Amino acid sequence: MRWRGVLAGLIAVVAACSPAAALDRASVAARACGGASGMTDAANAMVASLPDASVEDARWVATFSNAAIERTLRCGAGAPTIAAPEGARDAASLRPGAPADGSPPLLSLKNRPLFETVRAAATLLAGPTAAERAGALTALERRAGSLPPELFERAAEAETDPALKERVLGVGQAALLNSPDMAKRLAAIQRIAATPDRRALTQIAALKGDPAYGEDPAFRAAVDAAVGSIERWLAVSNALNVFYNGLSFASILFMASAGLAIIFGLMGVINLAQGEFIMIGAYVAYAVQEAMRAAAPGLLDWYLIAAIPVVFLVTAGVGIAVEATIVRRLYTRPLMTLLATWAVSLLIVNLVRVAIGTQNLQFVTPSYISGGRLVTGDFIVTWNRLFAIVFAAVTLALTWFVLKKTPLGLNIRAVTQNRAMAGCVGIATRRVDMMAFGFGSGLAGLAGLALCPIYSVNPQMGSNFIVDSFMVVVLGGVGTLAGTVIAALGVGQINVLIEPLYGAVAAKVIVLLMIIAFLQWRPEGLYAVKGRRK
Amino acid sequence: MSAAKRSLLARALDDRIFVAVTSAVATVLLAAAAWPGLSDYRANIVGQLACFALLAVALDLIWGYAGILSLGHGLFFAIGGYVAGMHLLEHSVAVTGITPDIVQFMGWKALPGWWGPLESFPVALAAALGVAFVVAFLFGWVSFRSRVGGVYFAIITQALTYVAMLLMFRNDTGFGGNNGMTGFQAIFGVPFQSPGVARGLAVASLASLVAALVGCRLLTIGRFGRLLVATRDDEVRLRSLGYETLRLKLAVWCVSAVLAAVAGLLYAPQVGIINPRVLSPDLSIEIAVWCAIGGRGRLAGAVIGAALVNALKFSLSATLPDLWPFVLAGLVILVALIFPNGLLDIGRWRPTLLSRAGALQPRDATP
Repeated sequence: MRWRGVLAGLIAVVAACSPAAALDRASVAARACGGASGMTDAANAMVASLPDASVEDARWVATFSNAAIERTLRCGAGAPTIAAPEGARDAASLRPGAPADGSPPLLSLKNRPLFETVRAAATLLAGPTAAERAGALTALERRAGSLPPELFERAAEAETDPALKERVLGVGQAALLNSPDMAKRLAAIQRIAATPDRRALTQIAALKGDPAYGEDPAFRAAVDAAVGSIERWLAVSNALNVFYNGLSFASILFMASAGLAIIFGLMGVINLAQGEFIMIGAYVAYAVQEAMRAAAPGLLDWYLIAAIPVVFLVTAGVGIAVEATIVRRLYTRPLMTLLATWAVSLLIVNLVRVAIGTQNLQFVTPSYISGGRLVTGDFIVTWNRLFAIVFAAVTLALTWFVLKKTPLGLNIRAVTQNRAMAGCVGIATRRVDMMAFGFGSGLAGLAGLALCPIYSVNPQMGSNFIVDSFMVVVLGGVGTLAGTVIAALGVGQINVLIEPLYGAVAAKVIVLLMIIAFLQWRPEGLYAVKGRRK
Repeated sequence: MSAAKRSLLARALDDRIFVAVTSAVATVLLAAAAWPGLSDYRANIVGQLACFALLAVALDLIWGYAGILSLGHGLFFAIGGYVAGMHLLEHSVAVTGITPDIVQFMGWKALPGWWGPLESFPVALAAALGVAFVVAFLFGWVSFRSRVGGVYFAIITQALTYVAMLLMFRNDTGFGGNNGMTGFQAIFGVPFQSPGVARGLAVASLASLVAALVGCRLLTIGRFGRLLVATRDDEVRLRSLGYETLRLKLAVWCVSAVLAAVAGLLYAPQVGIINPRVLSPDLSIEIAVWCAIGGRGRLAGAVIGAALVNALKFSLSATLPDLWPFVLAGLVILVALIFPNGLLDIGRWRPTLLSRAGALQPRDATP
């Protein structure tokens, strides 16, 4: 983009050095009083002068064209004047005191849009507020092709508002597309094709209707090449979008099901209250947010980070309590545990519903996860989803560390592989069960935390994830983290891949059918621990 | 031959609780058929309870005897219910000529042509049982063949029902979407409002329940039942002894599914609506809860559990709707922790602390 700055700088230098190019106001004003064709001439003269005009001249053009549109311009015997409540002013010098005689010139249907364009172009250059300039730019967007491209370059150079500046540059490219100079047109096509998005595609595809498309083979080739390249990039960015959304969904699924898989592998128990642990995690994050709002409003932005240990400890505590009071008393009856944990989930949902209410919780979106970055085409890496992905990756690393490098992990793996033998060598298997249940619940709570910036948080939220996480556990098998990771990625990606084609329901149907088919081939999941088949 | 038969019948009467419960249901059946003071409202409640009890018996057959927990029996219940709904809609049009609402909100001109044959009741009955059987057979075959069982089977059946619910919630699946089917006008040519319809449906439900109880009892006390219990308690050993458990499990699974479809068939006309909510995972879990509360593996327990829980639900949701989930959750946890064999064991319970030697022990080792 440096060339553009240099060019604009050059223009600014030229404009500063040659005040000779100043507009002949009196002649323009006189021509505007010379009937319809005179008005057209006047408008064209103003447009032609604008790229090099001084700021005062641009302001004058804005005022004068406005007067013609608002019918305050007076054409009489003497010099044209502009009528105003406080007294008429000379149209050329804008000095007060001139006699206001004569009538407003008639603005024909053809000349009105011309004058409106002139007014907007002048306002874009010399308008005092960004809002006025933005409004002028909107008015110009459709007519950009009829204006000299240098006008936009100059406006962009002078623009102080960065967002508006980007817009001005974009419209300027569109102006160049219709430039009479073929070399500039071709250059503009190439430059527009360099930022491949839907808008660029419509802009360039519209050129296929241009007469030059049929006449000039070079132009035709350039347009075709640009359209092809934009379409290719759009396809790429579309694929990236799908992959990115799938990845973020998979991250949530992984966190929701990692705990399930560990508990299932260890105790042969599916915890139907896992979805409610997710919900508790999100509610605890909300409580932390409110506590920080009350205690340290300046640090409110960091509540999501501050909540991590709190969420983990609270949900792990709830999990340990459930294990100690209910699950451990049912350890030889996994199906009864299924029903008991369902009752726990019913209890938790309704407790939250009665105590807090069913409405969605309102979360502050911290600055570091709002917005995103445009990577290519319409592929935007949104920070909130990236947060979920990074968070899941960190959780995965920590879970791996806990399972492989700590005494607790060693015990979990030993009991998972052979409970009786582990007990024989002195491992307190009941205690390991309790710790693992707490650990798995804590992971579910963290999933809830990662969900707060993305999904709506209410007492029912757990049930939206629970069936998908069961599928991940069934598909991944138990005993290894790798199985859970791969299954979460698979289920997440397939869901997101099928969703735009056949809808969300079809995606779930297909995932379920694929899992049932898959179980024909590997009934104990992807990575079953080798052992005697029961 | 005749001696063996007599002994089978004799053994059918061994379980005193079963006999008591079956006779109680038969008494209610007689009362519903003959007692003039029965209001339509009460008859309707009794009929619904009988449907739920039938559903619970179906689940008990597979969970209590074969040890296979299905969290997807709502699917077969819904198959029966939806076929009944289609039959009743077609029949209502044939009797009254009034276009039902479903035609309007689905944007149709008339009911779909392929529903036409369902207007005849025998066809509808055959369709409901047939579809339930085929779905159960296919799903059971792929699952049992790859020896998916236990918790795996439970959560896959749950996912199956959940997916079916999502499908039925969509309008373009073609079964009324979110609204389901309602506005039934007539049954067997009689308008629904006329006296005796509610009573007739209740009698039909109770009669089906008695038939199912007796049939399942005879099925489970014979050789077949013994093999089922053996599958539950040690499938590997049974296989080693040379029995093919796939066929065994598949057979009981299909019978159970067909019974659930019968329950759905009877349920839809009594509540006057069938919609995808019967497919929600919660309903299917509740069926298992009824069995667990009453006591598994003793058909009587399923009836007691279903009747008790649903009667409680009906009375509480009329007076204290917010309290019901807490009561249900409390009941489940109570039963899970203190009455491992359900409330049928209540007579043997002695006040002891949990996990003390005196606490009740589960009758079956697994699951």
